[in-house]
Amino acid sequence: MSAPAPTPHRATVAALQDALATEHAAVWAYGLISAFVPPELTDQVDEAATAHRARRDATERILSDTGVEPVPTEPAYRTPSPVIDLAGALVLAVTAEGDTAAAWRAVIENSGVIENGGVLERHAQPGLRTTALDALVGAAVRASRWRSAAGAPVRTVPFPGAP
Amino acid sequence: MTVARAVRRRVLAAALGAGALALGVPPLAGCTPAQSTPPPPDPLEPVAEQAEIDVRLATAVAAAHPDLARSAAALASDRRQHAAALRAELRRVRPVPPATAPSSTTAPASTTAPPPVVAPLDPADARATLAGALQAAQDMASALVAAVPGHRGALLASIAACCASHQALLP
Repeated sequence: MSAPAPTPHRATVAALQDALATEHAAVWAYGLISAFVPPELTDQVDEAATAHRARRDATERILSDTGVEPVPTEPAYRTPSPVIDLAGALVLAVTAEGDTAAAWRAVIENSGVIENGGVLERHAQPGLRTTALDALVGAAVRASRWRSAAGAPVRTVPFPGAP
Repeated sequence: MTVARAVRRRVLAAALGAGALALGVPPLAGCTPAQSTPPPPDPLEPVAEQAEIDVRLATAVAAAHPDLARSAAALASDRRQHAAALRAELRRVRPVPPATAPSSTTAPASTTAPPPVVAPLDPADARATLAGALQAAQDMASALVAAVPGHRGALLASIAACCASHQALLP
């Protein structure tokens, strides 16, 4: 993107920290969302929450394994609109998935060159990019399912995670 | 995955069998004709070609099967945008020389006179065909994500994610 050209591995770490921050937020969001969904959607919420918890934990491991302190979760997050019913909960779900999709896409964009012996070498591509791709695909699929549940006229976006 | 590929190949074969063969039916992995020593093919070229084929397939399915029309029309729209973005990236890296642009032997061959794609008559076959095409497209884009520069990897990852979303929403 248009970052001011830090060294490659710094850009990768920053992108991973951003991704972790969005995973923390998603885990929090699904806690709130679960209070507003009808029984037929609880499995879908549980599945999403589980996926984000696993992704959060894995990302924390990647960072701490390479000597970087993972960003912590925030005590609370501001939602794009008030969440007081199912419609608001679905908006939040789509937002949370969109945020993680964008963050993982940025990891791919910023994980091109890993300095020899540099931090994150163990997770240099293709491993890191594959991880980020899986996360992006999962987020895009869930976002589409939530748009579908919300009865949105357009349920997909051509480039999930793109700015 | 193997099943998906087989399905896809059958579709293409069906399109040929239906008398759709005009001049240049896009081959699965091929490129357009070149005269002397062509530069090595850009790995995005077959990805763009596949997106263009999928636009025609999804458009045909949308017209033929009301139950699939919504999904297929949305798919055609997104795949059209994939093709446009990939073509833009291809042109950025290897611009068509202005002097040869109008009568170029490269890009326009497959875009100006695309062979018609025939949708399977049976709705279940049509659905399976779309699913197979989407899986193949996702696999093809995914396979390149780790092997290309970051901005290309990001584009391909978004395309793979979009195709996965469409597959998940097929009725």
